[in-house]
Amino acid sequence: MSLVTDKGAAWLSGVREALPLLGGYIPVAISFGMVAVQAGFSVWQTVLISIFIYAGASQFLFVAMVASGAPWWLVVLMTLLINARHVVYGPSLAPFLPKSRWSPLLCHGLTDQIFALALMRLPKLAVSERIGWYSGAMLLAWFSWIAGTALGAVAGEELTRLWPLLGEIMPFALPALFLVLLAPRFSSVIWCIALGCTIMVAMLLTLYGFTNTAIPLAAVSGALCFYLVRASTRAGGNQSG
Amino acid sequence: MDNNWWLTLLLASTGTLLMRLLPLLWMQRHLLKQQSKEGLAAIPDWQSVLGPLMIAAMLGVSLVPGTPGIAEWLATALGAMAALMAWLWTKSLGWPVVAGVTLYGLVIVVARMALV
Repeated sequence: MSLVTDKGAAWLSGVREALPLLGGYIPVAISFGMVAVQAGFSVWQTVLISIFIYAGASQFLFVAMVASGAPWWLVVLMTLLINARHVVYGPSLAPFLPKSRWSPLLCHGLTDQIFALALMRLPKLAVSERIGWYSGAMLLAWFSWIAGTALGAVAGEELTRLWPLLGEIMPFALPALFLVLLAPRFSSVIWCIALGCTIMVAMLLTLYGFTNTAIPLAAVSGALCFYLVRASTRAGGNQSG
Repeated sequence: MDNNWWLTLLLASTGTLLMRLLPLLWMQRHLLKQQSKEGLAAIPDWQSVLGPLMIAAMLGVSLVPGTPGIAEWLATALGAMAALMAWLWTKSLGWPVVAGVTLYGLVIVVARMALV
C-alpha cells in the first residue's frame, strides 16, 4: 500500500516539477498547430504529427517539406538530422533511470526539456521513485504538447488575435527553467568557463541562423573548453609540484 | 498532399524514437555488464561533462529572442536576473520561472506601450 502511495507521490512530484515547462510548450505547440493547418494538413493529421514525432523544430520542418512536395526520403533524413542530438540524452540518463518495460514509451518523451529536467532531478531521487517521477513529468509535457497543437489547429488564429503578446512572453519560461537547472553547476572556475563558453557559442550560432546545429556544436565547444582548462590546470600543478 | 505522408510520418517518428531509445538501452546494458564485472558501474567522464553542457547550449539557444531588439534583449537580461534572484531565495524550480516570465513580460508590455 505504502509502495503504491510512494509511487503516486513520485508521479505527482514529476507532474508538479514539469509544470514550468508548459509556459514554453503550449505557445510553441499552438504555433505549430496553426502553421500545419495553414500548410494544408487537417486537424487530425496535425495532432498525429505531435503525438508521434513529438520534437518541436523537426515538426515545423516536416510540415513545410511535406507541404512543398519534397521527396519522402529527404523529409525523413532532415527530420532525423535535426533530432540527432537526442542520441546523447539516453546515455546521460542511463545511470539514473532504472530498466523498465515502459522504456520505449518513456523514451518517446525524451525531449530537450525533459532531458534537462531529468538530468538534474533524477540523481536526487531514490531509485524507487525515479520511474514514477519521470513518467509524471514526461506525460504532462507530452499531453500539453498534443493539447497545444490541437488548440492551435482549431483556434490558433483567434487566440493570437485575442492575446497577441502571450505567444511572445510565455516561451521565456524555457530559458528561465534552464538557467535555474544550471545555476548550481556554476560552482567552480572550470565549470564557469565551460558553461559560459557553451552559452555564448549557442547564442552566436542562433543569432547567425544556425539554430538547429547550435546545441550540439555549442556543447562540443564547451566540452573542449572544459578539457583544455583541466589539462592546463593539471600541467600547471605538475610543474609547480 | 499525397498519401505518402503517412509513411513519411511513420519513418520519421520511428527513427526519432529509436534515436532516443537505443542509446539508453545500450548504456544501461553497458553499465550492468561493468557492474557485474567490477562490482561498481562507473559513469564515463565525458558523459558527466556533456550532459550539463547540452543544457547550457539549450539555454544559449533559448535566450536569443525571436525578434531581437533592444526591448527584447533588456527583457531577457532582466527576466534572467529575476529568475536567478528567485532561485537564490527559494531554491525551487517553479517560482524562479514565474518571476522570470513575469518580469520579461512586464518589460515587453511596457516597451510596446511606449511605442504606441
